[in-house]
Amino acid sequence: MSQLPRSFKRALWVFHIATGSCNGCDIEIVAALTPRYDTERFGIMLTGTPRHADVLLVTGPVTRPMLPRLKRVYEQTPDPKAVVVVGGCGSTGGVFYESYNVVGPIDNVIPVDVYVPGCPPRPEAIIDGVVKAVAKLESAGVSK
Amino acid sequence: MTGITTGFGAWNPIAWLLLFLGVVAGALFLRRFGNKQYKKNTGQTKVFLSGNEEPEASALHVRGAHLYWGFVDGLSAYYRRVRALHTGLLSDYVALFVGTLGVVLIVLVLSR
Repeated sequence: MSQLPRSFKRALWVFHIATGSCNGCDIEIVAALTPRYDTERFGIMLTGTPRHADVLLVTGPVTRPMLPRLKRVYEQTPDPKAVVVVGGCGSTGGVFYESYNVVGPIDNVIPVDVYVPGCPPRPEAIIDGVVKAVAKLESAGVSK
Repeated sequence: MTGITTGFGAWNPIAWLLLFLGVVAGALFLRRFGNKQYKKNTGQTKVFLSGNEEPEASALHVRGAHLYWGFVDGLSAYYRRVRALHTGLLSDYVALFVGTLGVVLIVLVLSR
């Protein structure tokens, strides 16, 4: 993680992975892409593969079947990368805390940079979280 | 002679070779902008299959028969009957040969 690509600030590609969420947070992520918020005008857009992503947007409390998949997606995301957890379930386990079929919260599985709590969080909060993740990477001295 | 002019245009292998070299040079130029910091022999070099584990190469192998799947499936009624004829018994094949030969001879005789 020696440097951020120059294109990082202009085009931030985000990969969204749901690890067993109720889809409430996922719908709010989609809402952030609608014309009302239109994150693409800032260069923030969803990508279909973690191989092209700068930021991982993770929702859900991490159910057992999703555990290896979440790890694999994290490994497949190129460095430097930031992980943003969206929603209460991913941040703390939420109503599924210590449930028998849940291994989360997400920071039990992969390192997390930014938490966006809420059930679900508003699109403004999600956008703010993504921007904070980039700022955190830059402030950590990974920017050229 | 480096080219052939046909009714549909010109075929010039040298031009195609130059085009190929140009495309290769362009591809190498674009490749220079790629991320060189990826971690080798990790998940970063593996295929993304919706987070699922990549199957063995043998499980992904596309066999020759797969290319004709639509053809065989579309003519499945015909193939069922034809496959039933292939019993593996030599006597059956000889019977088919004799039968087909008889039909051909009848057609030849009737067509004279």
